[in-house]
Amino acid sequence: MKIGLEVHVALPTKTKLFCSDSTAETKEPNSQICPICVGFPGSRPVLNKEAVRVAKSIAIALNCSVKDKISFIRKVYFYPDLPKSFQITQLSESIGSEGSIELEKKKIRIRRIQIEEDPAQIIREGGYTLLDFNRSGTPLVEIVTEPDITTEEELRETVFTLRTILHYQGVDVNQEIKTDLNISLAEDRVEIKNVTGIKNLIAAAQYEIARQGAIIEKGGVPEKETRSFDAASGTTKASRKKESEEEYGFIYEPDLTVYDTKNLAENAMRIPTKIARDLAVKHNANYKTILELIAFDTGALNLISTFEDEFSFNTIIASLEIMKRFGEPSNSNVFKEILNLTDQKIDITREVLKKIKSGDKVEIKKFSESQIDETIRKMLNSDATIVEKYKKNKNVVNFIIGTISKKYGIQPREAAVRVESVINKL
Amino acid sequence: MKSYIAEFDTKEKPKDYYNKLLENLKEKNRELNAFNNFNDSLHGGFPFSVKDNICVKGVESTASSKILKTYKPPFNATVVERLQKNNFGFLGKTNMDEFGFGSFGINCEAPAHNPFNSDYVAGGSSSGAAIATAILKYHVAVAESTGGSISSPAAFCGVVGFTPTYGVVSRNGLIDYANSLDKIGFMARSAIDVRKVLNMSTGRDTKDTTSLDVRLTDEPKIQFSVINQLMNGLDGKIRSAFDKFLEKLKGMDYKVNYVDLKEIEAAIPAYYVISAAEASTNLARYTGFKYGFKVNDFSKKYNDFFTEARKQFGAEAKRRIILGTFVRSASVKNRYYIRALKVRAMLNEKMRRILRESFIVSPTMPITTPKIADIEKLSPVQNYALDILTIPPNLCGLPHISFPYDYIGGMPIGAQVIGEHFNDYAVISFVENWERKFKYKFRYNIGAL
Repeated sequence: MKIGLEVHVALPTKTKLFCSDSTAETKEPNSQICPICVGFPGSRPVLNKEAVRVAKSIAIALNCSVKDKISFIRKVYFYPDLPKSFQITQLSESIGSEGSIELEKKKIRIRRIQIEEDPAQIIREGGYTLLDFNRSGTPLVEIVTEPDITTEEELRETVFTLRTILHYQGVDVNQEIKTDLNISLAEDRVEIKNVTGIKNLIAAAQYEIARQGAIIEKGGVPEKETRSFDAASGTTKASRKKESEEEYGFIYEPDLTVYDTKNLAENAMRIPTKIARDLAVKHNANYKTILELIAFDTGALNLISTFEDEFSFNTIIASLEIMKRFGEPSNSNVFKEILNLTDQKIDITREVLKKIKSGDKVEIKKFSESQIDETIRKMLNSDATIVEKYKKNKNVVNFIIGTISKKYGIQPREAAVRVESVINKL
Repeated sequence: MKSYIAEFDTKEKPKDYYNKLLENLKEKNRELNAFNNFNDSLHGGFPFSVKDNICVKGVESTASSKILKTYKPPFNATVVERLQKNNFGFLGKTNMDEFGFGSFGINCEAPAHNPFNSDYVAGGSSSGAAIATAILKYHVAVAESTGGSISSPAAFCGVVGFTPTYGVVSRNGLIDYANSLDKIGFMARSAIDVRKVLNMSTGRDTKDTTSLDVRLTDEPKIQFSVINQLMNGLDGKIRSAFDKFLEKLKGMDYKVNYVDLKEIEAAIPAYYVISAAEASTNLARYTGFKYGFKVNDFSKKYNDFFTEARKQFGAEAKRRIILGTFVRSASVKNRYYIRALKVRAMLNEKMRRILRESFIVSPTMPITTPKIADIEKLSPVQNYALDILTIPPNLCGLPHISFPYDYIGGMPIGAQVIGEHFNDYAVISFVENWERKFKYKFRYNIGAL
């Protein structure tokens, strides 16, 4: 099996790719438009340098070679969401080429990364096709991989790895990522166009693997074709037989000059997979645990860096997991306190967290007192004679003291005090 | 050499000057089809007309195409803005071949007529701009050339037509024909007025990425080169008039030499391939629902919907869409589109070599002014072949100027001088010298308004 992806991601810029309209979310349709992004005659594109800068950063983060001189082309086709009936995109002189997504045990090669404009949004309503041009002209990068993905597991890991790397480049990875999926169990390539979101991507792949598998099992050969994914039924449907390649009549975009990318300062190159691997080696810790904590949380990584010298790595990781469990944002100033408590092997409950956050001094012993007492009581109850024996020989509760001390991470002397107080109250 | 702009500035215009002007012009326009619309609220400034493929805010701008009927751009072209800032008053939109597709001003709903004799063509595609310049005393025209659309009508209408170096005047607001070839330029009754409006219009414009911030030079040349291959196809009368012109140049202490440029024959096919390829993508946006002609039957499938709209294109527009779509299609792209780009680069190099030491000079058009009826009989290829003299400088983005130098049978004829990139003022200076020496005057037998 071979799977290749064409992933489209919106870039985190304030304005559109070729005009100065805002890219911010808005509810009012066609409120962030101008002659350029609606394609009015007489208007022409002016390149957004920030979009190129971010795209360059992404290309570097994905191990691509970056072209010093990039140019744009027109991809011509007729569709109502395409205001000029051509999309300004890139081909041979695209921002990045020949890169890779590094999985734990494998590299998925990247053929090309190109900058392009998003079409308008089509809304089908009451038998009409409505168009919202707010999205038209949003800067995208399309990341085209080689068909190197060979299992569903690799597909998941590829998408996960790509998303975490993009997150570290400032991309909103919770956006509805649009993907074209090439998948072939046999010779000929089946393309599933325009799959929206990660869940659907996996579902489309699963369905297609099963569908093509069934054909092959029956002795057939899956045909070369383009299919579309229906999220409601979770199935793919044939949309066009691919007897010939699509004809887009590419020409150079004559309104944009060759653009020099050399002087664009790329983002800081923080590659989460690399960082997790380095940390795992340095601290003899689990790579996956670290990666999962920092993958979509740059704050967590910042906390690690801040406290790496002050606390043991296990304490930091445990504390981060506590933060995650309680949904605490990782920029929270409670982290230091959690670290302190965790370092003392104190169990952190929701109640404790509440106290930390409200700024109350946490009396470490108090919080677990009733819990400890309850445990002691239970242990005492399991032997009806023990209290009597205790009156004669205090050593008979040593095993309880030991257990409590270990369990709650408190000094044996303190445990002895607790046991004594429980017995006295009986 | 006379500046009508300077003369106008010193004159007090009576209140109803503009009203009278518009009234007379409208009357004249019924016969000549020079204007697509008029600015009835014009009440000040030196009048300038704008070719209909250049946007004027709130004014119908159709590029003389039915598919753009009712399109009123919400913005001004940069060149319009710059002239208005210099106290020029917008007069109206001038007629043209649809989207610039033509050399004779007849590929449109209302074919343009030559002001010297209305049986004859006015040239094109900036037909209206040239007619307006010929019939109006105080006026400059903002025109546009892709492959000769300024030179051709300027020559046939006996006015000065200047096409700047590519990128010198912002194209922002131009309804595109072929973006890598389109240049906004000017027509006037004298070279000095061209100089004045060029000076106001140049300079970098952030709204057009290809616009340049370059200081234009005015370096004179003594030498004039005549390209032998371009002389072969000349009409006999044109040839002898041009030979006399060359003698006059020698009399002005200029030197004339003849050079070979065999490859120049590739200019026409290269031009038509590149321009059609780009035009076919530019025209793809006309699908009948956002502006201009609207298809109101929303029950149609999208393919049928936009096909319905695109029936509004004229025959020449359809021809170029088909031609352009073909030459950029995957199977033949290398043979046509890519090859044409190489030809352009090669010709550019060869032309520049000649232009280092000299201007290039030729007649503007290889034929005397044709009758409208005669042009209608030509096949497209015969038609395209008549652009042989104007295409080379346009293909290479070189500054060039056409100016009237003689008359044949009462109709003006023009010569064209090409200069080096960015030496735009030099070709204008040359025509100023020419006008000074020969005290060239417009023949007002056609009557100036």
